[in-house]
Amino acid sequence: MCFRRVVPMQCCISVLCALASITAAADDPKPTPENTIHVQLADPVKPQAFSRPLKFFLVDVVDRSGAAQPMMVFKPRGGIFLDHTPSEITRTGLETCLKSANMLAAERDSADLLLTVYLFNFGLSDSSGMDFFGKVEFAVTLKNPKTAKSQQITASGTSIAGAAIRKKNIQKNVQEDIERAFADAVRNLLRGVKLRDAVVALDVPPELPASPAQPAAVPAPPATEKPPAAG
Amino acid sequence: MKIMAFATLAALLAWTMPAIAKDAEPQFKSVEAKHFPRAEGVELTPAFSDYLYAELRAELTKAKLFGQVIGEDEVVDAADAPKSLVIVGTITEYKKGSVVKDALIGFGAGMRSLKVDANVARRSDQQNLAAIHVHVKVSPRWNEKIMARAAAKDIVKQVKNSLKATKAS
Repeated sequence: MCFRRVVPMQCCISVLCALASITAAADDPKPTPENTIHVQLADPVKPQAFSRPLKFFLVDVVDRSGAAQPMMVFKPRGGIFLDHTPSEITRTGLETCLKSANMLAAERDSADLLLTVYLFNFGLSDSSGMDFFGKVEFAVTLKNPKTAKSQQITASGTSIAGAAIRKKNIQKNVQEDIERAFADAVRNLLRGVKLRDAVVALDVPPELPASPAQPAAVPAPPATEKPPAAG
Repeated sequence: MKIMAFATLAALLAWTMPAIAKDAEPQFKSVEAKHFPRAEGVELTPAFSDYLYAELRAELTKAKLFGQVIGEDEVVDAADAPKSLVIVGTITEYKKGSVVKDALIGFGAGMRSLKVDANVARRSDQQNLAAIHVHVKVSPRWNEKIMARAAAKDIVKQVKNSLKATKAS
């Protein structure tokens, strides 16, 4: 038997396979205009009514998700990316909702309550494999600048969208899913009982003189200001 | 012949219009599903509870019995409370199953199973409208989230049947 022709051929095939696998491993999805989605609230969520008109000021939105690539929401099939960071999307969404209800303070000093948002989850979570499971989760620290008292509340939103085969449909479903989960989380925050209770606990009526900030007297643990990342 | 056709069309329209109008106004204004906590000894991840909650909300939306499926702990107007429902429940039992038993014996042996008890109550007076018991069995090879999906479908099916029975009686 003559192996002279077979052996070089086998070598060539092995080299090609090795090269192909190296290329595939190195090919992490990259954001392009085709695989980038824009997530926003379809309609602004109307916040609940409080006993008196209040103004909120969104101090900061901190990403605590710990994701290495926060803008990549879906890795397979060339990836799907967000056009803005989750923090920016959350900030825009919350400000739009508060502004639509005339509850957004123009500046920090004129606000009744200051909001700091800690984002734990924004995007897709593990699902059954037959659908997409969108999940948005954040904690919000409310602070009364007059009394320096603060309280933390959590909000979360979930959504289920059907799976798809075509890339275009996958992208559409993922976008809708994240948008619905985000809207759900914002709604959960702005129309939630937790916000109402926190506002009742922190709000000082304007006619009453606000007691000055006493850091020693107010038991504000550091965990309230900076919540740990969700596991 | 034309008159007959017009008459038939008019009769058909007259017959379907009430049905369309009926669909426009659901029986209940809103429903709130809570996260189902796990009973003692049930070893499931917290992510499972989240997934079950999301599936339950998705199925409730599909059921079209409710005007709105609101999130957990959302404020509801006092005027809407008598026509609003709250679904609370507990995951009472979870058996992981056995792939070996399923493969060797079959006939339901070694299946992964989940038991959920839920109550549907009216928001205004907390009157219990339905008590639901769900027992789902799936292959141990399947993802546990498929079980959550099956459980959510079963819960909503039972809610639908119970509410229809309540309305009829």
